[in-house]
Amino acid sequence: MIENTVMLLIIVPLLFSLLFVALPKSLYRYLAWAFFIIGVALSVSLVLGGTGVVPVEGPNFAMYENIVLLLEVLVILYILAVSAKYKNWPTLGLGIISAALFAYTYANVPGAEGASFNIDPLAQLMILIVNIVGTAIILFATGYMDQYEEHRHLNRQKIFYFTMSFFLAAMNGLVMSDTLGWLYLFWELTTLCSFVLISYNMDEEGINNGFRALSLNLVGGVAMSIGIILLATNYNISSLTGIATYAGTDAVALAALALPVALLCIGGFAKSAQMPFHSWLLGAMVAPTPVSALLHSSTMVNAGVFLVVKLVPAYANTSLGTAIAVYGSFTFVICSALALSQRNAKRVLAYSTIANLGLIIASAGIGTPLAVAASMMLILFHAISKGLLFLCTGEIEHTIGSRDIEDMSGLIKKAPLLTSIAALGMVSMLLPPFGVLLTKWVSMEAASNNPVVIIFIVLGSALTTVYYSKWLGTILSTSMDKNAVPHKKLETYFPLSVLGLSIIGTSIFIFSIYDYFIRPQVEILLKVAPAVTGQAGQFTSEIGAFAYAAIFAVLALAILIYLATKNMFTPRTAGYYMCGENNLEKDRLMFRNGLCSYEKCSVSNIYLQNIFGESKLTTFGYAISIILIVIALAGGVGL
Amino acid sequence: MNDILTIILVLIGAPIIGCLASGIDRKITARLQGRVGPPLLQPYYDVKKLLSKDNMVVNPSQNFYVVVYLAFIILSLFMLVFKQDFLMIIFVYTVASVALVVGGMSTGSPYARIGSSREIMAILSYEPVLILYALAIYLLTGTFKLSALLDASSPLLMYTPLIFIAMIVVLNIKLKKSPFDYSTSHHGHQELIKGMTTEYGGPGFATIEIAHFYEYVFLTGLIFLFWASTPVIGVLIGIIAYLLVIVIDNITARVYWQWMLKLSWTILLVISLVNIAYLYVSGVKLV
Repeated sequence: MIENTVMLLIIVPLLFSLLFVALPKSLYRYLAWAFFIIGVALSVSLVLGGTGVVPVEGPNFAMYENIVLLLEVLVILYILAVSAKYKNWPTLGLGIISAALFAYTYANVPGAEGASFNIDPLAQLMILIVNIVGTAIILFATGYMDQYEEHRHLNRQKIFYFTMSFFLAAMNGLVMSDTLGWLYLFWELTTLCSFVLISYNMDEEGINNGFRALSLNLVGGVAMSIGIILLATNYNISSLTGIATYAGTDAVALAALALPVALLCIGGFAKSAQMPFHSWLLGAMVAPTPVSALLHSSTMVNAGVFLVVKLVPAYANTSLGTAIAVYGSFTFVICSALALSQRNAKRVLAYSTIANLGLIIASAGIGTPLAVAASMMLILFHAISKGLLFLCTGEIEHTIGSRDIEDMSGLIKKAPLLTSIAALGMVSMLLPPFGVLLTKWVSMEAASNNPVVIIFIVLGSALTTVYYSKWLGTILSTSMDKNAVPHKKLETYFPLSVLGLSIIGTSIFIFSIYDYFIRPQVEILLKVAPAVTGQAGQFTSEIGAFAYAAIFAVLALAILIYLATKNMFTPRTAGYYMCGENNLEKDRLMFRNGLCSYEKCSVSNIYLQNIFGESKLTTFGYAISIILIVIALAGGVGL
Repeated sequence: MNDILTIILVLIGAPIIGCLASGIDRKITARLQGRVGPPLLQPYYDVKKLLSKDNMVVNPSQNFYVVVYLAFIILSLFMLVFKQDFLMIIFVYTVASVALVVGGMSTGSPYARIGSSREIMAILSYEPVLILYALAIYLLTGTFKLSALLDASSPLLMYTPLIFIAMIVVLNIKLKKSPFDYSTSHHGHQELIKGMTTEYGGPGFATIEIAHFYEYVFLTGLIFLFWASTPVIGVLIGIIAYLLVIVIDNITARVYWQWMLKLSWTILLVISLVNIAYLYVSGVKLV
């Protein structure tokens, strides 16, 4: 039963990607709906099917292994061809290195007799994220892409939907496969998909950014394949569970694994766009918004943190783990600071993604049961909230024609529903009782034994509050001009509502989610579960308690009180105060100045460009993060 | 049963104490300026009058944020009284602060937006210090739950003098007292325009005032924790800190928000970190 679901999860998205190519554009809407429904059904059925290992052996394995080999060759050939075509020499060089490593692996590393898919609770959780958030994003795209292409005079939707669906197939394979060789193939396939999607516009900017993503991820891929070769030749390990088993034998084995594991983690850092690699994710903004949403929430960047979390048994409570924790929390604080200085909504979100992934990596690096639990919960909540926020930004851009935060003031009047959903997404990123804050609380409590990590997290979380509350205030502010009309399409608002309701649902049922997915997974990874109990709407750990039910209750109460008293004190609306110099005869947005003419009054938020600006912090961030990575590697060789 | 009694007591008692504290503030301030000052219950009369006025709004939904502000201040006060997780109390309190900021911005008024922007900078200034305070409590007791502080063998203040100093400044920032009162003020000479709250009047503004009463109690409660093991001394320290804030309010002039950000991210943060580092190194435990 579970075998069939596993195969279907890879084959069905592939089938849809072919259907998108074969069928005309007018049917995409129905295809996307079907994909969404089937994706939800398949992922839920995988979860209901329980956990287990699906081995692939015998003649089947031989066939699959040949397909894998063929695909790997094709991937490398494609990279070589495309980088030669656009004369991108760094990428070509990395492609050649990858090819050499592949040839070396093929010739020297002994072939396996079988491979396996490992369906553990974390894989189930990731499958849910990929197939619900991911297909919701594709559905959203059907309501978005026509207008996007119209603006840019493009007609490449076949490639767009093909790659998006293919991406989901690769991602499904990635989170389920236990065998490192297969994992690596799916890994490279996601890199390739992101390249195609980022350079979607086919203009110079798009292609440059696509190549940046490709080359930086190839660096990670090279590190990863060296790690895989080391594991296979020195320790005869060819799977993720193999790493965990070997690391569990004794302290000597654990220390021996440090270097290859650090190399695998670097692959994960590159994929998750951590600090020295972060520029590719910022460059990815040039792609259409559904692409950004997919990259930031359900695919690509999640693959990186997924791998880092899976490797926890190999570095928990070692010096490598501490190095990873410091590295992750450094990325968290520096990218939060960078996000503070941005006016472009997509850049804010991109930096916020990198920061939150840094927090996930930091939590994984801390390596206590509570922290590892926090890292997995953050993957889930971040995926939903960030997917929603990106889609909202895209729709806002279509409504008001700008993605500058300052232009979004007055949005609540222009598009109330969209603004409310976007506000929910932002609130869920920074305030209790929503999941992201809960996980931040857990990681703070868990990190409190590591002085450097906790201080980075404290500063980063203060910065996070600032950039989200300033944006939140801006979209909720009313100005008196209203000249934009929201497009009310079902394909737009249905995915947004699904994601919005998921935020509320997952936050309410956080303890059930914890019980079903997170605790068993922590037990698998660390052999101990965090001492967390959940009596009466509380999330109680050994060092504190989080009464989320009480916060929900107060929030509900506040809404009720507001609604009840609204009519007791009937509001009278007035224009706002401008020292008596309002111009009532015109649009009431202007001051009357000393010359009795009218001047527009505009107030903007504080961005602290000269403290936290990119020009101030980026070089510093590069330097420190590279040093930290070198330390992680050195911790690997036993310094 | 006992819990319900406490809830009712806090719900009624806290605004009375807050109202008196606010009245005392005005009395002392007046005396320091050589005036007689309003009666002690003036803040109460103000609220009573505001409640009887018309509910003038710019944006029909602006009062919603005020209700959230009040509700979450009260919730954080309850969590403090019931000795909950201190880190969580800070986050719940952040909800209240953000609600007030968003409420100010939601009016769209230029003055309110400037005030809100500045208040966001205030959040950036004090939040790290507050969380480091929570961290100090964790390091000394092994838990973020405040219940541990009551069983402590010696008062927190013995090991956290530098954080105490930082917290006094935070109290100044949070109560929006001079020199950090820029988020509720714009004109230097007259305060008709009160920053974030410029567009509030009538019952909406009364709610903010009532929330402030609760906030007075909550914030001095944070200071109380420094000597929670002997409640009498704790209360005394809370009162002294409050009086100190009033004096600072009267002897300083308003500064730019940049100045405050620099002060807090350099001096306050550094002294708090020194204190935290000492706690790590010495490994003292209170329990």
